[in-house]
Amino acid sequence: MDDYKFLFKVVLVGNAGVGKTCLVRRFTQGLFPPGQGATIGVDFMIKTVEVDNEKVKLQIWDTAGQERFRSITQSYYRSAHALILVYDISCQPTFDCLPDWLREIEEYANSKVLRVLVGNKIDREDREIPTHVGEEFAERNNMYFLETSAKEAENVETLFIQIAVDLIKQARNRDVPKYDDTTTIEDRTTSIGNKLLQ
Amino acid sequence: MSASEMSFEEMQEEIRNQLEKLQIEEDSLQEEMSTIMNQAPFLNEKIKSLKKLVPALKIIEHDAVGLVNTINDISDSSEKISGKIRLLDEARSRVQECQSRVCDLIDLEICSQGVQAAILDSDYEKGAAHVHRFLSMDQSLLQKTANDVENISNTLKSVRTLQDATSQLRALVEHKFNEAVRNEDLVSIERFFKIFPLLGIHEVGITEFCTYLRGKVSLTAEKNLKTAITTPISDKRYNIIFADTLTLLFEGLAKVIDIHQPLLETYYGPGRLFSAVNILQKECDVQVRRIFNEWMKCRQINKKMQQISEISRIGPNSSFSKLERIDPKDLDILIGEITFMHYRSELYIRFIQRKVMADIEIGILDSQKKEECINAFSQALNNSELTQLKHELLSHYLRLEQYFMEESINKAVAMDSVDSSQQTSSMVDDTFFIVRKCIRRSISSGNLDGICAIINTACRVLENDFCDVLRSKLRQGYPSGYLDLTQAYNVLQSSIQQGRLQSGDTEQSRTAFIVALNNADSCIEYVDALCEGVLKEIENALPGMNSNEHGKLESCLSGLSSVTSNLKEIIEYGIQQLRSSVIKPRVNPWVDAFLNISHQFTEEELSVYEAGETFVQTLIMNLESLLSSFKDMLTVANYDAFVGALTTEVTQRLEKVILKSSFNGLGGLILDKEVRSLASYITAATSWSVRDKFARLTQIATVLNLEQVSEIADYWGNHDGALTWRLTPSELRSFLLLRTDFKPDDVKRLKL
Repeated sequence: MDDYKFLFKVVLVGNAGVGKTCLVRRFTQGLFPPGQGATIGVDFMIKTVEVDNEKVKLQIWDTAGQERFRSITQSYYRSAHALILVYDISCQPTFDCLPDWLREIEEYANSKVLRVLVGNKIDREDREIPTHVGEEFAERNNMYFLETSAKEAENVETLFIQIAVDLIKQARNRDVPKYDDTTTIEDRTTSIGNKLLQ
Repeated sequence: MSASEMSFEEMQEEIRNQLEKLQIEEDSLQEEMSTIMNQAPFLNEKIKSLKKLVPALKIIEHDAVGLVNTINDISDSSEKISGKIRLLDEARSRVQECQSRVCDLIDLEICSQGVQAAILDSDYEKGAAHVHRFLSMDQSLLQKTANDVENISNTLKSVRTLQDATSQLRALVEHKFNEAVRNEDLVSIERFFKIFPLLGIHEVGITEFCTYLRGKVSLTAEKNLKTAITTPISDKRYNIIFADTLTLLFEGLAKVIDIHQPLLETYYGPGRLFSAVNILQKECDVQVRRIFNEWMKCRQINKKMQQISEISRIGPNSSFSKLERIDPKDLDILIGEITFMHYRSELYIRFIQRKVMADIEIGILDSQKKEECINAFSQALNNSELTQLKHELLSHYLRLEQYFMEESINKAVAMDSVDSSQQTSSMVDDTFFIVRKCIRRSISSGNLDGICAIINTACRVLENDFCDVLRSKLRQGYPSGYLDLTQAYNVLQSSIQQGRLQSGDTEQSRTAFIVALNNADSCIEYVDALCEGVLKEIENALPGMNSNEHGKLESCLSGLSSVTSNLKEIIEYGIQQLRSSVIKPRVNPWVDAFLNISHQFTEEELSVYEAGETFVQTLIMNLESLLSSFKDMLTVANYDAFVGALTTEVTQRLEKVILKSSFNGLGGLILDKEVRSLASYITAATSWSVRDKFARLTQIATVLNLEQVSEIADYWGNHDGALTWRLTPSELRSFLLLRTDFKPDDVKRLKL
């Protein structure tokens, strides 16, 4: 049953109410449950995907955004392979908090962790953060960038699959002894840039 | 000409074709005809039998028509009968309805007369019973009845009287209830509490009554809190006084709910506990907040949190002693109190959840309404101050516990001491004692998220801080100053004699290295035991975990296995250090002694050689002294790893020196013997199999011990006696060439 080749831990973080749980639900169950209560502590979901004929098990940790759960959620950063930092494109404060989140990631997470910035809720018409602002922020901080809508199922699959693809690449590169960290990071940013402009 | 000829021939051809076709057709027709002819008698037979059936069928038809007529008659008459019955039924139901209306009217009369009298007599139960009867009548039907009856005004008057009486009674009962509350008149409180539902104002009754209960809870809670605040430090329970106060509050509330639930169910019906609990929860929230605030103030939680976060910002190993570090020991009791408080809150929440859910389950039957009700309740509970404070408690707990674990382990490492009778040092036992204690304490909080967070923290501290300590100790290396212990001993002796003991620096760092290596090994065992023990304890403490929660827990526990792999790497690193600083410098000269011996023996030389101390005897003796000096110092697993490294080194070196020597038949024989005794010595020295490490060497010895080149065929190839060769064909050839009595041409000619 458990015949997967890779196991990756993906942790979602970001302010309360930006749609982390909805992204996870959309990806793992294909649902968009409206009127969700706030997540308590940490939720845990598993989804196995197939990339290049390889089975990849994604362990997705959906953390509570509220401050009082921080001491629980922080303990999950260290073992994460990828961190998804989510903000709400229709809510400026959630974007303004990003530097605080990055500081936290810097403090608790592994330095090699794959970091992805996600602007969620692009189905909303009252956008406050233009795409290029998010994109620039991501580029400045060496992150992937993607805008999604959990409601319309837009880019959600892409987000997680792209993470799986990248983590596989990383895992394979680690086996190769002459692995240069810096070059791949640069590769990464450029490839994201191209992807987004399409 | 030719055309006509051609056409003639063509025609002829065509005619022939046609003829052939016709013939085929004729054949097939003939065949068909013959089959038809064959069937004819059979068909005739059938026709005859059918003809016989005709009269019988006619009779049947006649009978059937008769049957249809009869059935039609029956159906007609039954239709008539049932129509009459239907009419009768209708009439009867009308009569019944009429009766009930008359009853209602009569009751209405009685009630309207009785209710006033009852009110005047202050017999509220009776009055309420009348109103209850009135309210149970269908009000719109009553209106219609009134229209049908001749005496309209009378009926309407009664209705109006009763309506007035209802509102009058409602106001009166509410007033009386409040009066009873003011007078603390328990009997009256209960009396009026029972009247509310009769007047159709269940919710008002619940609100009034629960508000009353709320007041009582509030009074007790305030008194308890005051006692808590004034408790002297000398009191035995001072350190957990707030947990006690919280417990008292929850127990009080639970008692209130337990006592009044049957009352509520009897007089108000099931499904109403939710409303009652909602009101009580408001008081619970107020009181919990007050206790929490006092606790924060009294225990200086904010100050402690600030200190902790500042310490962690500066970093654990910084020597900034300006900052007053909190001794983890001082936090121990406080952490205990928080877990206790958290656990109590958790238990109380589970209690009301269980109560209300059970009540909703039996009280509300409509599945959609039920779901709505459950959702409303869960949401109310989740948003309650109690739940929020529970989360805050958990958050404080985790911060303190994480600090406690880190600091205590730092302390254990700093106070590390080596007892010469032990292979490991105190920090291993101490560290795992602390980790275990913290995880146990998190289990006592009763919250899976809290447990998982502490397990995650344990993984982090062990994998980073703790493994770093071990690694840095090993990185300092194993000083190889003296080549063996006797030498070291001599030096030490002479230094003592000369009165200039240069401190046992080298010896100390050697011990430190070995102890660190052993520590890493025993940590692996500790981690395994921890994993297993903790899982069992959690399963006992949280019996109702679903598969998702199980997955969460297991994923966190699997973090501990990465600690194990880290430790294994550390051990491997340490063994490699030993290999280069201890094993190599000693083993190489011992093995190189092989080169000092000629391996081309005559019979005579051989007996001389065997009579004296042979190469392998010396080697084994040397190895023995080396191994014995390490055997008692190292843990079993580390010793095995050490022997493994030693074996690799010896066999590789021996292979090299063999390649530099040359042998005759007797030399090969001796080599084979010596390799065998070496292998059996090392096999005896360790619990692991070293056969694999000896495979190449054994094969080399076999090759060199051949009688003739051609004998190799017994061992090489695809037959049963063949070996699984670790040597390549070219290696094999070069070993064969070491035999001076083998002809190089024979060797070259070998087909391998």
